[in-house]
Amino acid sequence: MSNDLNMKVNVLPVLTYNFLHVNDSTLQINDFNISDNKSPLAKELPAGVTVQKAVPFAEAGEIFRKNNDRILAPIDGHVDPNGDTSARDKDQALRTGMGADVDGLMISMGATVDIYTVEEGVKADKPIILNYDMKDGDASLSGQVIHARKDSEVTVIIAYTSDKDAKGFQGVSTRLLAEEGARINLIKSQILGDGFVHFDDIGGACLKDGKIDLVTLELGGCKVFSSAYVNLAEKSTAFTSNMGYLVRGDHDLDINYVADHRGKKTEASMQFKGVLMDSAKKAFRGTIDFKKGSAGSVGDEQEDALLLSEDVVNKTMPVILCQEEDVEGRHGATIGELGEDILFYMQTRGIDEEEAKRIMIKARLDSVAKLIPDPEIMQKTLYYIQNVV
Amino acid sequence: MADTNNKQVVADIDRSLYDFKDVESEKDFYRMAEGLTEETVLKVSEEKNDPDWMRDFRLECLKLYNDIKVPDWGPSIEGLDMDKISSYVRHKSDMKGKWEDVPEDIKNTFERLGIPQAERESLAGVGAQYDSELVYHNVKDEVAAQGVVYTDLESALRGEYADMIKSHFMKLVPPTDHKFAALHGAVWSGGSFVYVPKGVKVDIPLQSYFRLNAAGAGQFEHTLIIVDEGADLHFIEGCSAPKYNVANLHAGCVELYVAKNARLRYSTIENWSKNMYNLNTKRAIVEENGIMEWVSGSFGSHTSYLYPMTILKGDNSKMEFTGITFAGKGQNLDTGAKVVHQGKHTSSVINTKSISKDGGVGTYRSSVIIQKTAKKAKASVSCDSLMLDSISRADTIPGMDIRTNDADVGHEAKIGRISDEAIFYLMSRGISEEDAKAMIVSGFANPVSKELPLEYAVEMNNLIKLEMSGNG
Repeated sequence: MSNDLNMKVNVLPVLTYNFLHVNDSTLQINDFNISDNKSPLAKELPAGVTVQKAVPFAEAGEIFRKNNDRILAPIDGHVDPNGDTSARDKDQALRTGMGADVDGLMISMGATVDIYTVEEGVKADKPIILNYDMKDGDASLSGQVIHARKDSEVTVIIAYTSDKDAKGFQGVSTRLLAEEGARINLIKSQILGDGFVHFDDIGGACLKDGKIDLVTLELGGCKVFSSAYVNLAEKSTAFTSNMGYLVRGDHDLDINYVADHRGKKTEASMQFKGVLMDSAKKAFRGTIDFKKGSAGSVGDEQEDALLLSEDVVNKTMPVILCQEEDVEGRHGATIGELGEDILFYMQTRGIDEEEAKRIMIKARLDSVAKLIPDPEIMQKTLYYIQNVV
Repeated sequence: MADTNNKQVVADIDRSLYDFKDVESEKDFYRMAEGLTEETVLKVSEEKNDPDWMRDFRLECLKLYNDIKVPDWGPSIEGLDMDKISSYVRHKSDMKGKWEDVPEDIKNTFERLGIPQAERESLAGVGAQYDSELVYHNVKDEVAAQGVVYTDLESALRGEYADMIKSHFMKLVPPTDHKFAALHGAVWSGGSFVYVPKGVKVDIPLQSYFRLNAAGAGQFEHTLIIVDEGADLHFIEGCSAPKYNVANLHAGCVELYVAKNARLRYSTIENWSKNMYNLNTKRAIVEENGIMEWVSGSFGSHTSYLYPMTILKGDNSKMEFTGITFAGKGQNLDTGAKVVHQGKHTSSVINTKSISKDGGVGTYRSSVIIQKTAKKAKASVSCDSLMLDSISRADTIPGMDIRTNDADVGHEAKIGRISDEAIFYLMSRGISEEDAKAMIVSGFANPVSKELPLEYAVEMNNLIKLEMSGNG
């Protein structure tokens, strides 16, 4: 099957000035062809975790639709923000960072996903490890649903790897449901080759006391979409995210993260640390959305972007939407090159500017890579960073 | 801790000072038919006795207006129907240079707003616009003697500054910029022209006051200010209107040229009535070592789109924007600032405060663009929002586009309510809960009021009228 792919993705929850060109992004590939469904087998499943392989994408969405009365409970007195875009994704079984066009693609291409279910009360004794080892010329669409039942806990580590010069396409959908008191830790390390177009469209929902933690490293690929939409549907739910990114050459990274605070006393913390080199481009969209009824909630997002070349393009859109009085929302961004004070300090220690830059790049990416709980994948990721830097 | 049953009430702005209205009779006033057609545009042009180039420009702008779509990103303007808006309303008497010659009804209006008194006490010059035309313009002799030009734009268009107007008019805000810039170009009327010659420092401010008294009308004044090399000016703009049950429209345009080593401060207290669609465009361009300062208070209007923009063209040029927006019942105020860094060592500071209550929607929206040429640029944005209840909205939508590594950009935003801890701290010092809340809200607005001349800070505080009252 061959098509021209042209999707509107990573749509900002509220539109702003068109001249900034950040309201959305386009994923366009001519003569698009899927050669394979590359969902890998988990090396070893922890006790209390089952997997249902190759479930059609739409069918897998039923897990979320069954909980729609809780995930998307109507909000009395809701007023849309100016430029609201939520209508375009309203038919998704679960809202995701990239949005409805990815659902359309998965369904139209007949993609399937694997459903991992963690039984009630199970605290998985080891992580589920999924290795997407891509080959030159691969073109795949696949995905997974992680369903953590009540009071369960699981860690999922997904590694996306290929040879350094490999080219290809890889689209992945990752959807998460943390039921009451459940916790999902999702760790992603992406070190694909310089010719890979890659997207990982993450959506998550937390029911009462549920929690989702994300650790993401976006280090490879020539055109990468990295997105997450987490619905904090009920009381005392939480979402944390730590992302490290490195964009170099003429590569392009496009990010869209949303924390949707619906329940009372919800918490979101999103940290993004990254480096742009050469003529790299990056667009970061991060939204904290305090819906009416989210009293007592706290949301925080921080971006720290280190720019190391005069040819980079960095776009940053940190958004806070608020329809609740009793909340605390913060966002901050620092964007620029290495501070002269740091360089001066390094130089007084006999370290030249180039070496100082290497140390600082490594320090900020390593700090995220060291959050990977699997020693082998962590070492592989650290080795990749070491080599590139 | 605060008891939710004992909540303080922050009152709406008391608008009685501004809501009085005068009946405009057909005998004294000329009012153009509602709607926007080539015929109405030509009629405005004829009324203004435009030079040919301006008439042609207006017609081009009308075409653009019809072609350009309404923005898809801001508040709804569905309630604005141009077929129900009269683009031009004027008193049948001419503009005057003395207050005593201004028609009695209009004079009464401006006296109630305190304009003549302000002119006597604290201003270097005043322009007063009523509906579509200036009704009074005057500049103090000693300021005029310095070579400062402060006049209505129509006179300037035909006088010795005609070439200067032609080379600057809608060059900074081209009519292609957006739909309402095109509308402005088609039917603009009134407004002021200011020229401050090289090296002249105007010690006390000039002020223009805009009053839209007619129901179902539009006001489209154009303000053009050129501050030449090494000169210094503070310009104050005030606006108000009585409330009607039909939509009114304000689509003014402000173009500010700040030359090398010059400084311009542009202060606005906007208090349009809550039936007003305020779709205003303001833009400044700053040359080497120039300084542009904006102080902006947005209190009125039903719907606002207002983002003063600064282009820091020259090396070492600077911009500072301080703004406050108060969105109350029925209001959707979308405000903020835009800055483009082009020159080396340019710097910008944006500091805004926003208050939302009684179902009001307050949106802070901005853009900071650092172009590749802007080496060593520094930009800092801080935007704070205060939610006073849970039926309102407070959104912050800032954008940054950085195209050089050799820049330093910082951004921070906070959204929240009056903190219980702060109230508790003040109450522990013997201050009542009511006074504590009033102090905190006043303190929140303080960064803006301290940037205004004393008389205007007092006006702003009166305008806010954050009356705190408890129920025991």
